[in-house]
Amino acid sequence: MKDILKKALSAGSVSAMELIYDHYSGMLFSYILQFVPDRTMAGTQLVEIFSLLGPRLPAAFDSQLGVYCWLQIEARKIILEYTSQNVNGQPKVDGSLRGVGSPGIEGRRNAEGYFALLAEAPPEHQWVFQELFVYGRQKEELALQSGKDPDHISRTLRECLFIIRKNLG
Amino acid sequence: MTIVNIELYIQSGIVESYVLGLASPGEVAEFEQLLPHFPELKEALSDFEYQLELFAIDHEVPPPPGSRERIEARLRETPSVRPPIHEEKRYRRDASGDYIRVEASSDQIKVHKYWRPTFIVIFILSKILLALAIYYFVEYRHAEKQIRQLEQQMGKKGG
Repeated sequence: MKDILKKALSAGSVSAMELIYDHYSGMLFSYILQFVPDRTMAGTQLVEIFSLLGPRLPAAFDSQLGVYCWLQIEARKIILEYTSQNVNGQPKVDGSLRGVGSPGIEGRRNAEGYFALLAEAPPEHQWVFQELFVYGRQKEELALQSGKDPDHISRTLRECLFIIRKNLG
Repeated sequence: MTIVNIELYIQSGIVESYVLGLASPGEVAEFEQLLPHFPELKEALSDFEYQLELFAIDHEVPPPPGSRERIEARLRETPSVRPPIHEEKRYRRDASGDYIRVEASSDQIKVHKYWRPTFIVIFILSKILLALAIYYFVEYRHAEKQIRQLEQQMGKKGG
């Protein structure tokens, strides 16, 4: 089945692409909402992601990851690239859409997606995960901002991942 | 790397980092290099992916209406994604203007929907023409018979 789908996608079959869309669009839209809470903007992002990833979908079958996780990672890269771009000096996604009170260290205001799994985590943990996962910031940046050691940030992220794993299971 | 080390490696959260896209390029390269050699790592990866996908299924949100159409329109502009091949498109013109043969997956042919009423009209007309032909043939035979009878009657009167 996987091989058939890969061949069909490689041949440029629209039907195969539709099958992928039907199966993963709802999951991916929910995933995008973690980055872009505004539904209209998230819808635009979904279109953008499927349009960009459509021709690259056969690569998902060569990846070490399953199709959904591959889609997630690639979607995140596209979103981070989009949100980091500026239009006339202004970020495309402003602070109000980010759902966080930056630059202070505080927990996530809306517990959607993976943040629902971190709901019981301390605010600092939520902040570290949010900055790294949602905004694609570096650990060193967070260390500098918070005045903590980069190892502390790494340890906090590791604890976040443990909590996520525990709550998923 | 020993078994104990691979367990520590898994416990370091590398699987979760890798799947969520939080691993650095160096960590990704190392993980992908180790993966084929350690079934435990592969199992940990499959397990986490499975849990994550279940979570995604449970939390899926329907995309805004019209998203599919917008994606289709965008993909139609992309040359590498093309519509399914139909029988009538077996031969396509390539960039140089020559026709090239492309594979078709069906033995059936497809025609435009306007051919349906056309076929019905042709069928009805052919039936009408057939009925008229039979009618005029019978009439002709009948008239021929009458002429023959008249000729016989005139022959008797003359004789």
